[in-house]
Amino acid sequence: MLRRREALWFYLFASPWIIGFVVFLLGPMIASVYISLTDWDSFTAPKWVGLDNYVRLLTDDPIFWKALWNTFYYAAVSVPLGLVIGLWLANLLNKGVRLRKLFRTLIYLPTLVPLVATAMIFKMVLAPSGPLNDALGLFGIPGPSWLLESVWVKPALILLSVWGAGGATVLLLAAMKGIPRELYEAAEVDGAGPVRQFWSITVPQLTPIIFFNLIMGLIGAFQVFSQVYILTKGGPDNASQTMVPLLFNEAFSFYHMGYASAISWLLFAVILVFTLIAFRTARRWVFYETEVK
Amino acid sequence: MATALSTAAPGQSVRSTERVVRAKRSTPFSYATLIIVSAVLCVPLVFVISIALSSDQTVNANTFTIIPREFHWENFTRVFGTELPMQRFLLNSVIISAGAVAGQVLSSGLVGYAFARLRAPGKNALFIIVIATMMIPSQITMIPQFLLFKELGWVNTYLPLIVPNFFSNAFNVFLVRQFVSRLPSEIDEAAMVDGLGFFGIYRRIMLPMLAPVLIAIGIFTLTATWGDFMGPLIYLNDESKMPLALGVQYITSTSQALQAPPWNLVMVGSILLTLPMILVYYLGQRYLYEMDISGGSAGVK
Repeated sequence: MLRRREALWFYLFASPWIIGFVVFLLGPMIASVYISLTDWDSFTAPKWVGLDNYVRLLTDDPIFWKALWNTFYYAAVSVPLGLVIGLWLANLLNKGVRLRKLFRTLIYLPTLVPLVATAMIFKMVLAPSGPLNDALGLFGIPGPSWLLESVWVKPALILLSVWGAGGATVLLLAAMKGIPRELYEAAEVDGAGPVRQFWSITVPQLTPIIFFNLIMGLIGAFQVFSQVYILTKGGPDNASQTMVPLLFNEAFSFYHMGYASAISWLLFAVILVFTLIAFRTARRWVFYETEVK
Repeated sequence: MATALSTAAPGQSVRSTERVVRAKRSTPFSYATLIIVSAVLCVPLVFVISIALSSDQTVNANTFTIIPREFHWENFTRVFGTELPMQRFLLNSVIISAGAVAGQVLSSGLVGYAFARLRAPGKNALFIIVIATMMIPSQITMIPQFLLFKELGWVNTYLPLIVPNFFSNAFNVFLVRQFVSRLPSEIDEAAMVDGLGFFGIYRRIMLPMLAPVLIAIGIFTLTATWGDFMGPLIYLNDESKMPLALGVQYITSTSQALQAPPWNLVMVGSILLTLPMILVYYLGQRYLYEMDISGGSAGVK
């Protein structure tokens, strides 16, 4: 009796999530599969086309392949670069520097700027006569028109993402503080220098948090939208077009609801594959203390 | 050593140990690097302030400098009025964010508590679904959700941006569940012996104890909705309904081809967009650090 009452209360308490799951997730997912198999402008009746959208995307749409390649490129460069810089800065801050709190705040500050504002700022920073090119000019380098040249637009977006590397720094720094000091003392006694200590103690101890950042970073990078939409609209010549802006345009500019839904499922497939690969390889390099104990 | 570690936060003892172990490693080189990196990272922020304080002439001539040369503080009041409806954008942001935060906080606490404490058939299977849904990118449901809200006549209202939050999300449910699991279950048992029902236990015993995790969830939700661009871009067409994040972008994209956007006022908008985030971070960082680290590593392990 009490058991049944408890179960009833469970379902009552959990009902917001259950209802939300059905109405905003499960239902839409099923609908999305169906829509992706149709040709539909959302105004007239949908027309069943089977796998046509997928076939067309994969065999007959050069822009899709370009967007896919650009997304890979962006994720493959910006995520590791952000992690390496984050780790490097965290390690610097973890040494006994004075004013550590001040430096930490200054490094973290860019992370607090909302993406829309970041995009506005970088529109000006990356302008042909902006401060970045001025700085390059000091070294006698003529800076490119970052956002207007197809060769430079991806590096420009990566630069913008690296500006926020301080987010990883703070997390890594907090984790570094949790590394038992005895490990370093023992290493010191054994004659290990700072570099050796960094690679043999700090990095292995941080691998779980590095792994977490890697997964989150990859998922985030594959879904990059606001920066691209605001700064370049995917141009020039689709050189900065990525998966989500492409999807957005197909759905809300051209009303190709079926085609756009198919893109969303391919995006899901890509994220899934990369997450699985990351988890598979994690066994080889992610170090958990519990395994040793 | 163990005692030194346990008093790590307030004590001076660790400071001195740290100095012994590490003192020789902080070189002038580290300082130089940190100063250069911090300066480079802050240049864009100084540049924003400089542009925000520029005159309209400077905007038209596009002759900005990194360090402010002119100080047109009136730009900060000009945006509130007829020239730009920034007060409207701000109010919209507040309405949408407050609704979203209220929704997530109210629902996540209940659902997370249920998953942590109450026993029911099918619960474990449901929890596996909760975890699994975290992997699904929101783009999958974006189009059907848009069509659903269009059917309901909710397009161009705040509702699509607020209402889904009242049904909680998987990550927040997970956070609350982890938090409750760490609390001793004797608390609920004692309350039950005292005659409290399940809702009474939640309302009177659990809710006060959940404050830290609910504050963290509130902060996460606030940051996500305050800066959200895509949601409002999909659902809102009227300028008078746009939140600041969309409004600021809207101003730059609608100015005439021959006429430069009012960059000084746009940057004032960007500053207004950023300041609350700095404030929230400053006031809420201790909750965030607790949640980030424990939640984060728990998620990976």
